[in-house]
Amino acid sequence: MPKKSDTTRKLEDVGIEIDGDVESAEENNKAKGKGAKKTAAGKRGKAAASEDEDEDDEPPRGRRTANKKKAAQADEEHSDDDIPQRRCAGNRRRGKVRESGRDGENEKSGRKNKRGGNKKQKDGKGKGKDKDNDSDNDEKKKKNSSGDDSKSDEEDESMSEGEMAKLMEEVEEKKKLIASIRTKPWRMRRRLKVLKEAQQFVDKFEGALGKGKGRKLYAYKVMMMKKWIKFQRDFENFRTACIPWERKIKEVESHFGSSVASYFIFLRWMYGMNLVLFSLTFGLVVIPEVLMGLPYGSIPRKTVPREEQDTAMDYSVLTDFSGYCKYSVLFYGYYNNQRTIGFLKFRLPLSYLLVGIGTFGYSLMVVIRTMAKNADVGGGDGEDNEFTFAWKMFTSWDYLIGNAETADNKYASITTSFKESIVDEQENQKDENIHLRRFLRVLANFFITCTLGGSGYLIYFVVKRSQEFSNMDNLSWYEKNELEIIMSLLGLVGPMLFETIAELEEYHPRIALKWQLGRIFALFLGNLYTFLLALFDEVNAKLEEEESIKNASIWFMKEYYANYSANNPNDTGTPPPVDPADVIRGPCWETTVGIEFVKLTVSDIQVTYLTILIGDFLRALIVRFLNYCWCWDLEAGWPSYGEFDISGNVLGLVFNQGMIWMGAFYAPGLVGINVLRLLTSMYYQCWAVMACNVPHERVFKASKSNNFYMGLLLLILFLSLLPVVYTIMSLPPSFDCGPFSGKARMFDVIMETIDLDLPAFMGTLFGYVANPGLIIPAVLLMVLAIYYLNSVSEAYQNANMELKKKMQMARDEEKNRRNNKDSTNQVMKDLEDLLPNRSLASHAPPENSAGKKHDQGGKSPKVKPGTAGGGVHLQKDVSLASANPNARGPVTRAPGPRGPGPLPGQPGASRGQGPPPRRQ
Amino acid sequence: MGSTNSTLLKIPNVEVLMQETGFSPAHIIRLHDRFKALDKEGRGYLCPQDFGAIKELAMNPIGDRIIGAFFSPGKETVDFHTFVKILAHFRPVDKDRPKEPNSLEPINSRSNKLKFAFQLYDQDKDGKISRDELLKVLRAMLGMQVTEEQLESIADRTIQEADLDRDDAISFEEFRKSLEKVNIDHKMSIRFLR
Repeated sequence: MPKKSDTTRKLEDVGIEIDGDVESAEENNKAKGKGAKKTAAGKRGKAAASEDEDEDDEPPRGRRTANKKKAAQADEEHSDDDIPQRRCAGNRRRGKVRESGRDGENEKSGRKNKRGGNKKQKDGKGKGKDKDNDSDNDEKKKKNSSGDDSKSDEEDESMSEGEMAKLMEEVEEKKKLIASIRTKPWRMRRRLKVLKEAQQFVDKFEGALGKGKGRKLYAYKVMMMKKWIKFQRDFENFRTACIPWERKIKEVESHFGSSVASYFIFLRWMYGMNLVLFSLTFGLVVIPEVLMGLPYGSIPRKTVPREEQDTAMDYSVLTDFSGYCKYSVLFYGYYNNQRTIGFLKFRLPLSYLLVGIGTFGYSLMVVIRTMAKNADVGGGDGEDNEFTFAWKMFTSWDYLIGNAETADNKYASITTSFKESIVDEQENQKDENIHLRRFLRVLANFFITCTLGGSGYLIYFVVKRSQEFSNMDNLSWYEKNELEIIMSLLGLVGPMLFETIAELEEYHPRIALKWQLGRIFALFLGNLYTFLLALFDEVNAKLEEEESIKNASIWFMKEYYANYSANNPNDTGTPPPVDPADVIRGPCWETTVGIEFVKLTVSDIQVTYLTILIGDFLRALIVRFLNYCWCWDLEAGWPSYGEFDISGNVLGLVFNQGMIWMGAFYAPGLVGINVLRLLTSMYYQCWAVMACNVPHERVFKASKSNNFYMGLLLLILFLSLLPVVYTIMSLPPSFDCGPFSGKARMFDVIMETIDLDLPAFMGTLFGYVANPGLIIPAVLLMVLAIYYLNSVSEAYQNANMELKKKMQMARDEEKNRRNNKDSTNQVMKDLEDLLPNRSLASHAPPENSAGKKHDQGGKSPKVKPGTAGGGVHLQKDVSLASANPNARGPVTRAPGPRGPGPLPGQPGASRGQGPPPRRQ
Repeated sequence: MGSTNSTLLKIPNVEVLMQETGFSPAHIIRLHDRFKALDKEGRGYLCPQDFGAIKELAMNPIGDRIIGAFFSPGKETVDFHTFVKILAHFRPVDKDRPKEPNSLEPINSRSNKLKFAFQLYDQDKDGKISRDELLKVLRAMLGMQVTEEQLESIADRTIQEADLDRDDAISFEEFRKSLEKVNIDHKMSIRFLR
């Protein structure tokens, strides 16, 4: 019996297509052995599948009969006794068996017996029409699928069993769909679409279900896919692990809220940017100079002068960045003006200038790009504050947490997020006297403007006084340090004053932080102004001094050469044999400026770190341990623990970066110092905040984009760009130090490169580009473009707002409707619950359509046929409708004046699920 | 293959179970292994203490409630069938599977998942999450960090947000409504049960 059925099976396959015919004929020849069976099975299956398609594409009758004829021919050839029709049916089913897994031999034979039984059954009615055939198919498939489960587990070595079974089910499902698509009450278009999809699916995944080559290939594909997915997941994890300090920041965030975390995120961002600046500066300027430039002591600018050499190594001198520090690669003056250095012919002066400009270019680009990206994020997902608390309440726990520490953090972060929401809520619900509030805000701003104006005048006054003092001798200590004292006093008192005044305004803390930041920023600008003013005075003085020294040294050289040539007339002369340490040299104002900036940065670091150590750590220690023996409760009472000062820290960071940008040109080493500072600061402040600070009283949620910080940064960047560009473009570089010595202006090095290194036409090209006739139109064009883009973005924003408003309105309406319904119809609802379900179902359809007449609104036409169609498709349609609550909305509204009767939408309940789950 | 078969054979009524839950044999076997691992003494059923050994649950603020969800009222033990049925709530929803018009709603459907979650909060099983029940959970979740007053206002606020019929409690319907936009299918799915 088995043997025979085997051959019949093949023959049946033959009946389907000619290709199949040939193949299986071949196979037939060699298929006596069992080894061949497997490969044959694949092809057979394929043939079966294509047969399936053929049928389901609803081909013309003729073709099918033709098929059958062919089959019949094949039949005759191979002298089989089966009837083609039956064969087709059986065949399809067998293909399925094949697909759904390979049976062990024993089982197979058993199945075959069963199959035989099936066939016999078939024989009875099998000669009927195709319709019958199809339905038979269906039945069989069902039987099949019930048998699937037991088969599936034998299926795989390469794929997981669950996956296998699932896939198989899906394929079965699709096939069933294909088979029964004719009976579906759908439109033709939809039928065709579904059919196509299903067929594609079957084609794609049939291979999985055990068909020779296809299966192997599929198994391989699945394996690779799984590997790939796993790799992607791992890679994602790896990437997350690679984000530096992510864990630290998350920890801080969970305890202190997103506002404090936003500072650390900003710090991290700054670190990233500075790292790039650092690699630019060091890679293109410092390291080439160290590797290929002239060594220390070879020329005057690289040597400590004779009179300084005794103290050059002293600690106090070094901490002032004088001595060996001053004549090192850290500062501008050390670089030589050789056009090319080393065997690589590295053009150091050009590189120096380009890196200086590139630093600004890169920073501008990054800041602006980040801002744009943040703005995008901020606008993208509108805060959906409909169910904030409910969501937090029900969904915030992460059920995969199995680590005590993580659990603690999660507790903290849930608490913090609740607190943040509470603050937001409080702000929303504040019923305020709007006139009083406005008045107070105007008043506060008035005070603050006064304070700012006053401090501005004070700074101006003090600077002027200090300029007078600088010309006088025998000053007292106060008079010498007046400027610094006043400045630091202002820096100390100003923010506190602002904070006090800001209490009047009663802004949301998030907005208050922005105002505070803006105001302190304005105050600190005064600081910057005095610093720059002092610096420029110094530079001007240095320039004058340099002029005289330059003249003197030129005169000296002239004299020397004159003497030399007078003594030995036939020699053009060699340079005077002076030790490089003894050469008279100019003051080199660039290095002085660089030293100023480095000193400022370093002292800033010291002050910041000391403040943290004393103001936070020591305070925390005292409060914590002296509390045991103190008159009042230190922790709850006056000193308490410190809060993390967000505004101060952010501004410190921003201004520090400004210093770096300004100073980097004169002191390439500054960038390195800054990178170190940011790195240590990250760890130090993270530790400090976790160890010594308490969360803010009102933990508030930071705005998603920290664009405000970025805005401040951009402003500072622009401000620091100005002096540097000014010096590059209009101050003469020192004559005896730095990469640009000997040139009239620093940017001459570019001209030189254009003239010497680039082909001639480039020079003329640049000449044209620099022509004002070209530049002015270009600028105009840009202005126009900005204007255009600006107005476009505004229009988009308006549209956005409009849409948001609409959405909100729709939501409100929905809510109101529900509320009304529920409040008015409480009695009715109770009655409904009492009524038996059956009667409801019969009531429902007319009710429904009546309801529709009542309210005009968007309703899905799909509800209608289903409900009208009576009980058969009821559930399906109800579920369809409930998938989209809005479409259902108008119907659920109770027709107001009607007496106690069943509600529309109730039919869902009639399925015996009880009233609640299906509706609404 | 033989081993898996024999494992399957050991479980009584495995077909019924698979039909009810939609698990494949592979899942059943895996769950059975897990069940045996939890059932340290090999009694064939689990006690609440056995669940306590899972540290993910021990960390969870409402861990004991989750454990409680495995035990039907009045029963101290859970056998393998119940165990599997409850875990079936967490089976991911099958995508693009056409709905069969006549079959029952599967255990892992969205509303059943939600119902399961709802029961975790609804301790007295009256079909409503009352304010007290919310407060209990809040206390477990926020603990000492937040004042009692604030806890109460959070609870009030939560109810106010979700409450549509103004009965100062969250019914299942309201619960479902408020979590409509949360991807429950994703959140309440365990990937390995796929």
